[in-house]
Amino acid sequence: MKKQQTQKSEFEFCKACGINHDQGLRHKYFPNHKKSLSTFLSRFRKKLSDVRFFLNAPIPLNPQLASRNRFWCVFCDQDIHEHSSSFACANAIRHLASALHLKNLKHFFWKYGAAADQLDAFMFSDDDVTKWEKKCVARKDEANEGSRRTVVGPSSDDHIHNQLTSGNSNSFETNVYSHSVKSYPSNPVLPLPNYTNEYQISSSGLSGIANVATSSEARPDAKPIVFQDFLVERRSHSFPHDGRQSSSNGYSCDKQISSMPIESAEKKVYSEAPPPWIDTTEAVQMHSSSNKLGKSKMLNPNRVGAAWVEKRKIEMEKEKRGETIRNGRDASWLPNFGRVWQSGSRRESRKEFEREKQLQKLNVETESEMAIKIQPYVSKRMRMDSVGDNAIIGCLLSPTSLLFQCREW
Amino acid sequence: MSELLPNFSKKIEVDTIIRDTFDKVVVLRFGRASDLTCLQQDHILSKAARDVSKFATVALVDVDSEDIHVYVKYFDITLIPSTVFFFNAHHMKMDYGTADHTKWIGAFFSKQDFIDVVEAIFRGAMKGKLIVNSPLPPERIPNFQILYKDV
Repeated sequence: MKKQQTQKSEFEFCKACGINHDQGLRHKYFPNHKKSLSTFLSRFRKKLSDVRFFLNAPIPLNPQLASRNRFWCVFCDQDIHEHSSSFACANAIRHLASALHLKNLKHFFWKYGAAADQLDAFMFSDDDVTKWEKKCVARKDEANEGSRRTVVGPSSDDHIHNQLTSGNSNSFETNVYSHSVKSYPSNPVLPLPNYTNEYQISSSGLSGIANVATSSEARPDAKPIVFQDFLVERRSHSFPHDGRQSSSNGYSCDKQISSMPIESAEKKVYSEAPPPWIDTTEAVQMHSSSNKLGKSKMLNPNRVGAAWVEKRKIEMEKEKRGETIRNGRDASWLPNFGRVWQSGSRRESRKEFEREKQLQKLNVETESEMAIKIQPYVSKRMRMDSVGDNAIIGCLLSPTSLLFQCREW
Repeated sequence: MSELLPNFSKKIEVDTIIRDTFDKVVVLRFGRASDLTCLQQDHILSKAARDVSKFATVALVDVDSEDIHVYVKYFDITLIPSTVFFFNAHHMKMDYGTADHTKWIGAFFSKQDFIDVVEAIFRGAMKGKLIVNSPLPPERIPNFQILYKDV
């Protein structure tokens, strides 16, 4: 009793259970702790899977959203901000690969009694990070090239813009869209190659400049209705790109875009980032949930392989969560035994198979000589025309020293 | 004919369909697409696959593949086509009145025969039986004799 009392003297907080306890290290063996630890870890694993997504596919980070993109590391008790990073979760990725994180992670696992084989799931390897850095560099180069392609060099779009601004500035000032011009005086807006033109063409009827926009960009299906809700902006100003002055009419589709800096807007368009309406994580979840069978409640609990189904479903669930990694045992998996047997125990035939397998390993050469010959089975009906009674059709020798004969009955 | 059904030539694919098909009969046809009787069998399977799709999954396995070789040995497949049945990763046997209970050898006579066999296996499996009696009359079962080498 005295010993227990001395052990109970210190109170400490368990992060997984969210309680203060005085049980010392014994606490980590309690079933309740184990349960809450697994939920705690799986919750963090879910968060980490988001970061892992950015590890595999680096996406340039919009500085506006940088403040929202932060990551709480539960092992280090540290909030990781992305204020200065140009790619999403860059600091988080570096943190998860750092030695300090590994140290804290190991300490956490020791203290809370998590399985050590799960360590890898909560950290990134250096190889992954170097790969990610390479991808980031490639992505940056791509974005730079993309921006040069669009801004530098005279394009047909720019011509239209120039024509529009030079020739019809007065008509624009007086038309229905002119009200928004003054509301965003400081934000430079890039020429949006396609949509802007569509808009101009569709709206040209109103301002009486239809004769200007007769280029190949004119699309009959571009309807003014589509742009009803859009915030319209018109501006004519200069960009110092390669010493060339260009003026633009920009119609941004959203308030955020209009207030975004130029660089990130370009990267978003020209990087191969998934468009915002495709939420990849959600799609994956939907796909996995559709695989589940919903009829298991009605089934007979004594049916063949009921236990197997339960076991396998738990396994699959774990695999999905990334807890158990498929091991090499899977490669040699075979269903329960199905060889032909004539007498004695069924287990004998399995033993026979395993013995053969051993033999095969020992002398591959002799085995290759005894390779199985597979003969097509010829049915009775098909044989009617060609062969007479009691004709032996298939006669072959298998390594199991069984002779199969097909004989007309 | 083999294009109409999933065609497997890797062990992992066969493993996956056996392991991850729950509460459904898995019908695996071991054979080769060029063989005449296999074609006949494939035709019947492909016609019936949709009808039995609520309680069975049908797939074709190419015996010529090196990766499948272990399964060919494991199930003692010496005549093709051989059709093997599984339920929840358990090999299902059927007493056809022939020497081999472990697989159906040859082609089915008609689509209905195949549906009957699969249904009998499914019903038996749902009652916990690993071996069931064949619902088909003996004249509609392809016959062969199994003999030991020295007999």
